[in-house]
Amino acid sequence: MKNDNPISPHIQVYNWHISSLVSISHRITGVLNYALLILVCFWVISLLLGEKNYEYFKIFSNSFIGKFFIIGFIWSYIFQILSEIRHWFWDMGYGFELKTTKITGTIVILGSFILTIILYIAKGILI
Amino acid sequence: MLQATKKWIFQKISSVIMVPFMIWFLLNIVEIFNAEYNEVVIFFTSQPSKILFSIFIVSTFFYSALSISEIFEDYISQENVKKYSNLGVFLSSLIIPLITIISIIYL
Repeated sequence: MKNDNPISPHIQVYNWHISSLVSISHRITGVLNYALLILVCFWVISLLLGEKNYEYFKIFSNSFIGKFFIIGFIWSYIFQILSEIRHWFWDMGYGFELKTTKITGTIVILGSFILTIILYIAKGILI
Repeated sequence: MLQATKKWIFQKISSVIMVPFMIWFLLNIVEIFNAEYNEVVIFFTSQPSKILFSIFIVSTFFYSALSISEIFEDYISQENVKKYSNLGVFLSSLIIPLITIISIIYL
């Protein structure tokens, strides 16, 4: 069947608001999380290669890039979780008022950073 | 029921299943990311993490495949490109979690 649905206008045509920022970030982190989950799966599969080969991963996980990776991973997933919860409220018919969307959008953005810091520090990775 | 409505319902159900397991995995990955080989193997092979991790990857891949197909719908105009992109995401969302779960069983 031929699909005649129009595609979305490019995001650059819109003025930026909290809601649009959270919306596009939700999509970007969604795709990012998909890619990150594939990497996690490859990591789990690589365990079959044995302890000796795992040393290569240890070098990566202890490096600066490894730390950046895990912080980025945590942030991206927390953002997705908070934004998804925001969507649940919308699905139930709550939170559509302009002021509320700004507040919940801000909570998603700030909350993702705050919770990432809390989780990262609480688990003592920085040490 | 419209195809789009069915897709939306599946997306919402998988999202409700996925989020608690996502939280569980986040709380654990910060610990096991830097752990020694034996600790990581014990984590993935012991119960209940073996089951929880399997549900986490299956629900997240399922949710992601549906969500990413929506993105393709919005931003890809060429039907052929859209079709093969969806097929790629669908197949990888099926094969990768399957191989991962089999790997955990054989660990």
